[in-house]
Amino acid sequence: MSPLLLNLNTAICLSLTLLVAGCNAPNEKQYQIDYTTQFPQVSGGTLINAMTGEPSGLISMIAGESASSAISSNIFNSLLKYDKNLELEGDLVAHWEISTDQKTITFKLKPNLKWADNNPLTSADVLFTWQAVTNEKNASPYASDFLLVKKAETPDAQTFRVTYEQAYAPALDSWAGLQILPKHLLEGKDLHTTAFARKPIGSHYYQLDSWKHGEHLKLSKNANSVLGPAQIDNLVTRIIPDNSAQFLELMADNIDLMGLDPIKYSRIIPARPELQKKLALYKELGNSYTYMGFNLKHKPFDDVRVRRAINYAIDKQEIIDGVYLGLGINIASPYKPGTRWSNPALTPYPYDPAKARSLLKEAGFTDSNGDGILERDGKPFSFEIITNQNKEREKSAVLIQRRLKEVGIDVQIRAIEWASFISRFIKTGDFDVVVLGWGLGLDPDQYNIWHSSQQAPGQFNFIGYNNPKVDKLLEQGRLELNPDRRMEVYHQFSATLLEDSPIIYLSAGYGLTAIHKRVKGIDDPAPPAGIGHNSQDWYIPKSLRRNEISAH
Amino acid sequence: MFKYLIKRVLWMIPMLIGISLISFFIMHLAPGDITNNEASFNPKASEESRQKLREMYNLDKPIIVQYGLWLKRMMTLDFGKSFASHQKPVFWQTTDADGNVTEGLIQQALPITLMINLLGLTITLSLAIPLGIIAARKYQGWQDRSITLFNFIGFSIPGFWLSLLLMYWLGVVNNWFPISGMHSLNYDSLDTWDKIKDTFSHLFLPVVIPSITGLAGITLFVKNGMLDVLQQDYITTARAKGLGEHKVVYTHALRNALLPLITIIGLSIPGLIGGSVIAETIFAIPGMGKLFYDAVLMRDFPVVMGILTIGSALTLVGNLLADVAYAWADPRVRRGVAKA
Repeated sequence: MSPLLLNLNTAICLSLTLLVAGCNAPNEKQYQIDYTTQFPQVSGGTLINAMTGEPSGLISMIAGESASSAISSNIFNSLLKYDKNLELEGDLVAHWEISTDQKTITFKLKPNLKWADNNPLTSADVLFTWQAVTNEKNASPYASDFLLVKKAETPDAQTFRVTYEQAYAPALDSWAGLQILPKHLLEGKDLHTTAFARKPIGSHYYQLDSWKHGEHLKLSKNANSVLGPAQIDNLVTRIIPDNSAQFLELMADNIDLMGLDPIKYSRIIPARPELQKKLALYKELGNSYTYMGFNLKHKPFDDVRVRRAINYAIDKQEIIDGVYLGLGINIASPYKPGTRWSNPALTPYPYDPAKARSLLKEAGFTDSNGDGILERDGKPFSFEIITNQNKEREKSAVLIQRRLKEVGIDVQIRAIEWASFISRFIKTGDFDVVVLGWGLGLDPDQYNIWHSSQQAPGQFNFIGYNNPKVDKLLEQGRLELNPDRRMEVYHQFSATLLEDSPIIYLSAGYGLTAIHKRVKGIDDPAPPAGIGHNSQDWYIPKSLRRNEISAH
Repeated sequence: MFKYLIKRVLWMIPMLIGISLISFFIMHLAPGDITNNEASFNPKASEESRQKLREMYNLDKPIIVQYGLWLKRMMTLDFGKSFASHQKPVFWQTTDADGNVTEGLIQQALPITLMINLLGLTITLSLAIPLGIIAARKYQGWQDRSITLFNFIGFSIPGFWLSLLLMYWLGVVNNWFPISGMHSLNYDSLDTWDKIKDTFSHLFLPVVIPSITGLAGITLFVKNGMLDVLQQDYITTARAKGLGEHKVVYTHALRNALLPLITIIGLSIPGLIGGSVIAETIFAIPGMGKLFYDAVLMRDFPVVMGILTIGSALTLVGNLLADVAYAWADPRVRRGVAKA
């Protein structure tokens, strides 16, 4: 290396004061820090995080993408929220009452709530937010839950009351999802274009400090936070679209937190002692699962024996081990295991090719010409699995292809870009079998996915599931606000669904996260709500903060 | 000459309309629209609201009507607003009634991409011209062979792979360069000199890697041009006159050998604003390549059309400038003796 280049390095090295932890072999120095010692809880410091996509704006009822709500949920409150055990509790609301006919809900706001700009937060803001989400002009994707409200009123500044046409059990969950916006800043503005989306004023732990387009968003503590102060002073979210680059930044200690894929979680980090020393790994079950769904309007998938046969023929554990490196679980209902909605009495279909063969034979499939592929009425049993371009789903499809070949079913696989996938195949119903995933909310209502009325193009029962018993249970579940009776309904629903096998549950994957060990106060193992439930109490001990380290 | 220029410029108008028509239809032939993105595949999001969104963006109208609406806006140079991104303006900033300025998407991305590509082109040219000359003068000697070898290694290495390796080596193992991004987080609190150093260190890898991998083409071009010229009679004459070798090569040969480079630079103008999706993604640079790519995936038609229109206009301008520069540099073209 030439002397010029050497000087250049020194110069650059000197200029990187914040990100780089000192230039003389910084890595070795950091290894000497023992992150396991106990530190007192102190507030302050900066947590640096990374995201692959930039939010379009921070009004999440309009933006709709996860990047937006990930940031805005630190800025805005809802009326209700979920506690660590996924039970509802008040967020802006001190308490709420449900009328005896279950049609009216009265929310009482906590006293003396304030926006970050010192204006009072009252029931007028809540009413305004409801009007905004239901306003046709705003075309909010989440309007449907709120359009069911027949009457919304504000008897006084602390009270907000909604009345539904008929009892609507998912209502409480919907109010936990709607972020309350300030009326005094947004009244008369077009939510699609308002500058507020890029410089919001909220009521939660943090407020937006700066937003550098394409680079980072910085949040800082909100002095008026309605739930009291958070511990960490600043949350910086850097926008790094490439996952490998994100991981390099994590290795170089430039970010504190990152979502991982199974390879990084169980192969790369454990193999590197220097990473193990400074990174803590967390896994938590998400509210999502991967499935293989049949087009129930196409033959032979209208025959329950065929669907069950295929279910028996697929080795789900093999998919979990091979595709997710064991970081997933086998499920038997469309609910997160361990929550009250998941029916503990159900067990997934075991891998049983013999049973699969006999069921297929029962359904009239035999290999009459000896080519290894089953036929019925002279037609070979052959179909195409389509999926979007998602590595895990493609790999799962390959394993399914092999197992089905063993029982005499010929499968082709096609992976398609998302927009084409939806508009060309899902909307038109022009498919045999899909491998897809559902990411779901915390409310057990899945009317939109399974009810027979939800089959029009663009609706979510695109597999064409139609079972009057399930329809009835889904309707019942929407009317029942008592959690215990409601649970009964959904346990029955899951049992029927499993028996009918309109989809095959492939796996519920764990969400995997690496967090730098300088961040303390994280619950491990994760409670049902996940590690993020108490992020306001996370703290970074003074001696472990970035500036302090580089000052050594 | 002046008449010729006017004619060329007027010709660009029907060409641009043709290009925009074709790109508009191709874009709309792709299945799906903005309401089909992955985030909207959410049981909480209803089909009715997606339909309302389609109406709001005129996506429910026949495609020819949509094109007419777009063309009408373009008459006033209004590139419209993005469908996504909270309807940011596509091209240039707007100011709302309260004086809030919303910057345009292209306005934000273009300077970044232009700066990176201009720096890259400068580096490429300043390396490729000397290397090409050396290779031509020492044709088939060891210098020529090693330059060719080096160039082809650079040409064959996948840019993203080299980038990741260098990011790991220079950023993680050695901490010499930042890994990704445009600025450090504390950029705003630095003084001017540190700001320059900070920007320089962040841009080092994204600029240098593509210039090395792009070196091969231009070096070969210079080398071949030089070889051709060195065999011409007038070079022999120059040598026979007793001119020094230095003067022969750099004064007489080089100027002629570099003529074809004008075309190359002219043609690279649209590339200068295009940006590279892969490099911009890996290095987390919010440039034009990433903007265009994301817009295509999102079916964000106004952004796609905006970039395509500006890109094709610049291509036409680039070609025109190259032709004009040729006429200026080569008297034979100017006097109509030879065709450019």
